[in-house]
Amino acid sequence: MRLEGVTKTYPNGKQALIEVDLVIPEGDFIFLVGPSGAGKSTLIKLLVRDEKASEGRVEVAGHDLGRMKKRDVPRLRRRIGIVFQDFRLLPRKTVYENVAFALEVTGTPRKLMDPAVVRALALVGLTEQARQRPNELSGGEQQRTAIARAMVHDPRLIIADEPTGNLDPLISWEIIQLLLRINEMGTTVMMATHDAEVVTALRRRVVALEDGRVVRDEVGGYHREY
Amino acid sequence: MHFLRFSVRQSLQGLWRNRVMNIAATVTMILMLLMLAALVILISGVESGLEYVESKVEVTAELHDGVLEERIAELQTRVEALAEVASVTYTSKEEALAAFLAARKAEGQDTSVYTGLNNPLPAYLTVELRNPRESGAVTEILRAETGLVRFVPDQQTGIDKLVSLTSQLRNLGVVVLGFAGLTVLLIVINSIRMALMARAQEIEIMRLVGASDRYVRWPFILEGVFIGITGAVITLLLLLVASPPISDLASDIAGSVPLGFDSSLTLQIMGIVLGAGLGLGGLGAWISVRTYLR
Repeated sequence: MRLEGVTKTYPNGKQALIEVDLVIPEGDFIFLVGPSGAGKSTLIKLLVRDEKASEGRVEVAGHDLGRMKKRDVPRLRRRIGIVFQDFRLLPRKTVYENVAFALEVTGTPRKLMDPAVVRALALVGLTEQARQRPNELSGGEQQRTAIARAMVHDPRLIIADEPTGNLDPLISWEIIQLLLRINEMGTTVMMATHDAEVVTALRRRVVALEDGRVVRDEVGGYHREY
Repeated sequence: MHFLRFSVRQSLQGLWRNRVMNIAATVTMILMLLMLAALVILISGVESGLEYVESKVEVTAELHDGVLEERIAELQTRVEALAEVASVTYTSKEEALAAFLAARKAEGQDTSVYTGLNNPLPAYLTVELRNPRESGAVTEILRAETGLVRFVPDQQTGIDKLVSLTSQLRNLGVVVLGFAGLTVLLIVINSIRMALMARAQEIEIMRLVGASDRYVRWPFILEGVFIGITGAVITLLLLLVASPPISDLASDIAGSVPLGFDSSLTLQIMGIVLGAGLGLGGLGAWISVRTYLR
């Protein structure tokens, strides 16, 4: 994953990212930090081709996203798993169905679906809860369902946008542990977060954004200055 | 196969969740399709009536009393030579009276009241035309023979009136149907838009996990198609129930005129109703998906 001189200007003239250079090697675990409005969400949108860079080059898994045709976007997204702060589960579907949905809508043959769903649920430890609906689950379990859904395609990259934002500290740790385990299995993980404690404790690579620029990119804590 | 099953299941679910709006759309569709079918039946009825009347068109020239037979024969030969004329028959005063009396007798009247009176009926020439629409020229030629011909009743005006009535009926029908069709289209568009809004979250998730566009769009287009097909099938069932009384009514009004209410018209109506329902449903859904799904 590579960004070269990437600037994103929205139609209203707001510059969300300015001249961002960033290289994330396969298998990395990085934190993306910075205050609200610093450009974290825009960066994520560029990586999944929800938005296009105004200038510069965005490359994911060898594909130049600026040149990618619209009909090739779904295939890209199957190689990236996304997790959000608000889980985004379908309330009428069970845990199993929520995870299977990601395979169903991408045309996966039925006989391949079940083993993949079972594997993803085992990975996040929700085998027992497979028949429950999201409203019967705790926040942590809901987020684990969302992670299972993100993992069911065996993606090369997981992008987690504030995955612990709605969870209490103990549960947050569970989710982080899960993401670390996924990373250890070889999947690149990028996690955007406000959670200073987690970032500082883990001593991983931290990319800090402020006003659309990368102000820091090193292994270490949340805030260098304090 | 997987795609088809997925799309059908999603669209049926969508139809159920948004059922009030979809019933409204279907009912409007039925009303419009009934109007369409009625117009087709009406126009086809009037046209076959018109055809029947036209096929019976012949120009009759009533002759003055007491003209020389040679002059009549000469006129007859001259008219027969015209390109648009199939045949010319001469009927004498006596034959005319005989035919008149025979007709009264057939109606069961007492013809004795006519005996002893002077024969008031004129002799006449009957001109059969090759093309019933071309009676004008023949009428003019016969009318010019003022010494021989007393009166040529005007057939053409009646037919012209009927023809223009048919085309006016058709125009009016097309305009009314146009508006009805537009209403149906707008209602389908709105109905599918509601379905899209109700599933906004699902659509977003589908896109995030990498569903291709056809998986996102086709369930909604199928919803429109289902509304159209349901409307068309119900319309056809209603017509099936209503067709015997309509047929009876039509033959009561038209009498001996054969109305074209036959199997070819039935097939035609089935085709038009199904086609219009399917087309409007699919088109409305397609427009909605194109407009509201970025």
